[in-house]
Amino acid sequence: MKKVKLGLAVALALAGTACSNLERSRDLANPNVPPAVTAMQVCSICHGVTGNPVSPIFPRLAGQQRDYLVAQLEQFRSHHRADPAGFEYMFGLSRNLTDAQIQGLADYFTKQVPLPGAPGDPALMAAGKEIFEKGVPEKATPPCVACHGPKGEGVATFPRLAYQYADYLSKQMHVFRETEGRPNTPMTQVAHGLSSTQVEAVAAYLQAFPTQK
Amino acid sequence: MRNIGAALRGRLGAGGVSLALLLLAMAPYEAQALPAFARQTGQNCVACHAGGQFPELTPYGRMFKLTGYTIGTRVVPLSVMGVAGYAKVADTSKSDNPASDFYKNGVPLLASGSVFIAGKLTDNIGAFSQITYDNYANLATDNQYAGHTQADNMDFRYADRFIDGNRDIVFGVSLNNNPSVSDPWNTAAAWMQYVPTPSPASHQFIDGKSPFPGFGSGGNLAGLSAYLFWNQTLYAELGSYRTSKGALSFMSAGLNGASTTQLNGSNNPYWRLALSHEWGPHNLMVGTSGMIAHVYDANSDITDPNDLGRFKNVGVDAQYQYILDPHTVTVQMAYTRQTQDYSANTIANGPVDANGNPLVFVDANGNPLAPVNPSDTTNIFRAKLSYVYQARYGGSVALFNRTGTSNTLNQNSGYDPVFGVTSDPTGALGATALSTRVTGNFSGNPGTRGYTYEAFWMPVQYVRAGVQYTAYSKYNGASDNYDGFGRNARDNNTLFLYVWGAY
Repeated sequence: MKKVKLGLAVALALAGTACSNLERSRDLANPNVPPAVTAMQVCSICHGVTGNPVSPIFPRLAGQQRDYLVAQLEQFRSHHRADPAGFEYMFGLSRNLTDAQIQGLADYFTKQVPLPGAPGDPALMAAGKEIFEKGVPEKATPPCVACHGPKGEGVATFPRLAYQYADYLSKQMHVFRETEGRPNTPMTQVAHGLSSTQVEAVAAYLQAFPTQK
Repeated sequence: MRNIGAALRGRLGAGGVSLALLLLAMAPYEAQALPAFARQTGQNCVACHAGGQFPELTPYGRMFKLTGYTIGTRVVPLSVMGVAGYAKVADTSKSDNPASDFYKNGVPLLASGSVFIAGKLTDNIGAFSQITYDNYANLATDNQYAGHTQADNMDFRYADRFIDGNRDIVFGVSLNNNPSVSDPWNTAAAWMQYVPTPSPASHQFIDGKSPFPGFGSGGNLAGLSAYLFWNQTLYAELGSYRTSKGALSFMSAGLNGASTTQLNGSNNPYWRLALSHEWGPHNLMVGTSGMIAHVYDANSDITDPNDLGRFKNVGVDAQYQYILDPHTVTVQMAYTRQTQDYSANTIANGPVDANGNPLVFVDANGNPLAPVNPSDTTNIFRAKLSYVYQARYGGSVALFNRTGTSNTLNQNSGYDPVFGVTSDPTGALGATALSTRVTGNFSGNPGTRGYTYEAFWMPVQYVRAGVQYTAYSKYNGASDNYDGFGRNARDNNTLFLYVWGAY
């Protein structure tokens, strides 16, 4: 037991020195860690170094609207965005970030170049394109382009949708439609006007977002 | 289930069920109310553990580990874990002392608990260390068990990550006490077996006690390894182990001299090479690992070079994961080939009984058995398929198969020259070669094969309740009469229920 205590004492002494290595730190509570370092050391593990993640569990951040990224990180930090992916992964990571760090992270990812996702079933994508451009008039659902822009590029706090993973988009639409996880957004109203098949269609279209007109 | 539940409540008023309920009550549905690592990152278990089933890691969990447990915020690095279990062996009749051979059969028990000191210490240094209290660690002569606390898995590491747009290199050093405990994949020997296994004899045939690919040296050692993970594709690790003594004796704390593995010197190398690839929600690893260990027969005596034996293990393993909420699918495969060169004294002395006395078996016709082989080869293969839905409901099926060379050295049951096969429990016969029931090996062959089926439920993310059924088609080299007393492999089939919680 004496040896265990000794080991513990050594460990605690080491901890006490609190060596920090700002250029390659993974500390999420140190306001001095530059945002680009956090983006590389931590965010990149799921979202990719260039904001283009390998796994569709994680949203593509590359080229995302800066204001949208800032707003989301702030809402994770304040727990106002509480969809499952939000609280499971992002509450903790964002809890100690400073405003400056949040803005720096947003700057980092907004500058990256988004890569297109894989195309899905052509018929499904065609149906999605229709909704994206024209909405669902019989349900008074407005077209996506109205807020997210003709290229799905987003503006300010309206996010970029083009090339976003279909799985992520579809899950978020269900969050808007069926939960209170992301309150205070027009999407709650919009999502109610879409069936699950329509959600799938528009998500498939946005993931590939073919540019031919 | 109702009867078991009632029995659990009856037997464990302040035990396993209470522990589980306490854990349930203690924790609100919030990310902060989790074991140490989750408190450090503020994330849910599913971020690092595939489908929430610890300890199996996600790609992110592997990076968390390889970067030295340093992501997040420094918090109090303490966690606790407890296990309550219930096991029932299919047939307990073929034993002259079932109360001892299957102690606590069909009885719910509070099996073990662990304290973890785990987490970020500095920007580059982190720890995962486990100290376990086993409620049934030691069996006394009066057939009563006594609890015991000892060092369990320990991994202290220094890590750094060099990453930019063109490269991603994680480099680290791990000081640990169990070969492969430093590994981030769950087909590594230290991590493939995961449900804690209670000690009482009733639990000796549960999945956790069936053959797993591993290293002949076992744990409670002291080792240093260096590793590199290049572009999240190539993983290489090289290390060496020695006896945990002196300043490193805390790595086998709680073990007495006779229980501490004694290695010869520091030249007991361990290596690991793995290729990893991720595409979409899929990831695949294919790897190899191995170790050469020089181990003394008697832990308390390292003076006689003729007591020194050698293990060589070489293995291949692979793991595939599909992780996309609500589905988690994992396929695991591991194979290890072990060559054990026995010490000169072991070869000369042949098989011995529990007290170290020579066992002089003969064949059915009274002829002496073949001489001891100086070396044995054992192959262990294990595969497992698991599925988890919503990180809440899961199931798995696993196959294990151990084959190997036969050796009179492995035999602890056989024909006494005068009395035939006997365990002579009362000493009335005066037999010179006493056979072992239930765990006996009549053939000298290690062949053991079977399946394990499991279903589990995680009502909240840090509590898991499971039911396991392990079915044997071969045990100790035979399907039927493997111990010489008529016990068949299928008699060992075991139902195992457990509740496992952590905070």
